[in-house]
Amino acid sequence: MTTEAKLPTKRYFEDVQVGDELPRLVKAPVTHLQLVRYAGASGDFNPLHTDPKIGEMLGIGGIIAHGMLIMGFLGQLLSNYVGPTALRKFGVRFKSMTRLDDVITCSGTITEKYEADGEARIAGRIQAVDQNGDVKASGTFVAALPKRGGE
Amino acid sequence: MFDQSKIGQSFPSFTYQVERCKIHELNLAIGDENPIYHSKEAAQAAGYPDVPASPTTPTTFQFWGNPDFVKHLVAIGVNVMRIIHGEEEYEYLAPIYAGDVLTGVTTLVDGKSRQGKDGSSMDILTLETRYTNQNGQEVLKERQVLIVR
Repeated sequence: MTTEAKLPTKRYFEDVQVGDELPRLVKAPVTHLQLVRYAGASGDFNPLHTDPKIGEMLGIGGIIAHGMLIMGFLGQLLSNYVGPTALRKFGVRFKSMTRLDDVITCSGTITEKYEADGEARIAGRIQAVDQNGDVKASGTFVAALPKRGGE
Repeated sequence: MFDQSKIGQSFPSFTYQVERCKIHELNLAIGDENPIYHSKEAAQAAGYPDVPASPTTPTTFQFWGNPDFVKHLVAIGVNVMRIIHGEEEYEYLAPIYAGDVLTGVTTLVDGKSRQGKDGSSMDILTLETRYTNQNGQEVLKERQVLIVR
């Protein structure tokens, strides 16, 4: 792992406003090796994602990425924004198939700020699109943030 | 046509120890280089007791912790070769760290048949998995919608 990768800075409830956009995350083109790695890591060995012959046989024209890899990209977007343990809810709907060489861009917008269960929370919309603007996955999230001076 | 009498049925529970190396591997595949997912030292330096689960780490719990999952789906009449992942949702109830031992129970909470645009029939199944950690604390609720063409 590169040692230059830096920790995201801490974000407070007061720093976030409704309408704010999450810093965009542009991923490197999806590669076959990445899907093989993802299969091994996640344990999802459906050959649809790794064996080009199966893709041909099913008439979908080659292999397609795991939907969960795309959700993983969106998870990275959120983890960068709020940290690993602040998420309370994260859900997506898979809209279309991702293929090799697709360049996925993740983005998000804050839609709500509120207090619930004794926590200061933010909610937002997120989506992952390819280089042609086709939506691959979209959804929503809820996260709890610390308040300034509240710790 | 999906057999509605299966709704409410739970599969046998499974146990999974959250592995530091799996979190590392998954984030390597995703391309998330945040050091807290790759080193215990970095995670502790950032104030966590161990490497934390990243947002989609729970996908490894079911695939690696419940090798019989596919068998259970077949048993309720699902043609597993025709599954499309429609939706995925996590509700995080408490942090999960490497070393935690989780027990998961998956329940079929909904199932219905729909007519596709081309007139073909498809089944839409919603499965919920609830995870409890070694202290008996409920840590995660996962819902997935599977479309079976």
